[in-house]
Amino acid sequence: MRGRAAEWLLPLSVLVLFLAAWEYAAAQYWLRPIQFPPPSRLASSFVDLATRGFPQGITLWSHAGTTIGRILLGHALAVALAVPIGIVIGSYPLVERMTSTIVTFCRSVATLSLLPLAIVWFGTGETAKIFLIGYGCFWVMLPATIAAVKLVDPVLIRAARTMDATPGIIFRQVVLPASLPRLLSGARVALGVGFMVIVGAEMIGTIHGLGSLIMEARTFYRTDITMVGMFCIGGFGLLVMFVLARLEAWLVPWQARQEAQQK
Amino acid sequence: MTPAIEVIGLSKAFGNDAAPVLGAVDLAIGENEFVVLLGRSGCGKTTLLNIIAGLERPSGGSVHVGGNPVTAPGAGKGMVFQQGALFPWLTAQRNIEFAALNRGSGAAEATRLAKELLALVGLAGAEQKYPFELSGGMQQRVAIARALALDPKILLMDEPFGALDEITRNEMQDELLRVWAQRRKTVVFVTHSIWEGLILADRVLVMAARPGRFVLERRIDLPRPRRRSDPLLVGLYDEIWSCLRG
Repeated sequence: MRGRAAEWLLPLSVLVLFLAAWEYAAAQYWLRPIQFPPPSRLASSFVDLATRGFPQGITLWSHAGTTIGRILLGHALAVALAVPIGIVIGSYPLVERMTSTIVTFCRSVATLSLLPLAIVWFGTGETAKIFLIGYGCFWVMLPATIAAVKLVDPVLIRAARTMDATPGIIFRQVVLPASLPRLLSGARVALGVGFMVIVGAEMIGTIHGLGSLIMEARTFYRTDITMVGMFCIGGFGLLVMFVLARLEAWLVPWQARQEAQQK
Repeated sequence: MTPAIEVIGLSKAFGNDAAPVLGAVDLAIGENEFVVLLGRSGCGKTTLLNIIAGLERPSGGSVHVGGNPVTAPGAGKGMVFQQGALFPWLTAQRNIEFAALNRGSGAAEATRLAKELLALVGLAGAEQKYPFELSGGMQQRVAIARALALDPKILLMDEPFGALDEITRNEMQDELLRVWAQRRKTVVFVTHSIWEGLILADRVLVMAARPGRFVLERRIDLPRPRRRSDPLLVGLYDEIWSCLRG
């Protein structure tokens, strides 16, 4: 227990020291409040946002709910599309050779550069936002799925073949479970991309969501709100990743143990 | 009587390599015979085993198991791999049931067989353990049990104890002989350990590379368990060693 406490104590004290220095520097007017609002100001803005909201009536929680909902929907659609397509590409070397250039090209296109196109195609409503998040997640999830299928240990498939397993059984009972750990970690990375894309996707046509909160605040020179919004995205990102990591450990316990043994 | 395994004029070459992995190899293995293929890495012994298993196609010649030509894996050709190749997401029992279910057993029958075979290899009580919870030696015991669940006529073993430490390895050799005494099978066992071959085999075939071929064949009619100090084995060891050293 003492080891655990010390593990927390060190980064915590660094953080406290950092905030104290920031507060002091702002109090001495070494830092301009418009650029670096002090932590005390951020804390009161946070309380204000959490209770009264900005714009008036839309609380921080409501923004966060909207944002997380959009991310999860875009992510889920991307995963649902990428996994079957990736399995097909990963299973057939010919298909992979046919598609590898396109895949590399599309994943290199920065998602937010599609923002103008997305507006032309889908308007400024929800569809465009979900599309952008989905696009970002998809091109991370697809290569991850292809790799997951290709990297299935061939000896497992050979072993299954010596045990009279049909191709269908090999696919369902060997290839799928064997690629599950890499699929899950791919989904986790894709979700991280969703959190990166969201601010850009929420820049247009909405006053709901943490991204629009950040942009709206800028219009009113409310740097404090922008910062609170930023920290919220970071915090929720951390939380969702943590939940996913726990889910992974629960779904594929053998993987965690294997990695622990390799260390 | 037809041999359990018959290899006729078997050759294997990859691509345009000048030297084939296997030359024209002939081999006949009797019912319940324990044959050890011995040689350096790259001498083609694993390739020969894979072709007998039906996992690889030969470039020329043919393999017959029980009088039938081999065209595909499965169908009574059990195999144990060097790294066990257990499914890490299945418990020991489910790994064995996987084999039994594919052979057409019902669920209850598969469970009964898995428990029986785990007990046979000395792992009663480990039914619900996952492979990562088992030592290397225990994993290979499960792999042997899994191969036996196919009720195979022949058992093909590709350096099954190669990754184990020497103490565990010696234990596993005794263990394999004990299981083999209870479940007689025709065994083809690949290794690069001379002592392993001498302790286990009815017949040792020493292979040389490029092209893969047999260069020495010795019958060992000693009863088991064998002692490493046996003068006959010591003499054979020297003979095989000088043959391998070339």
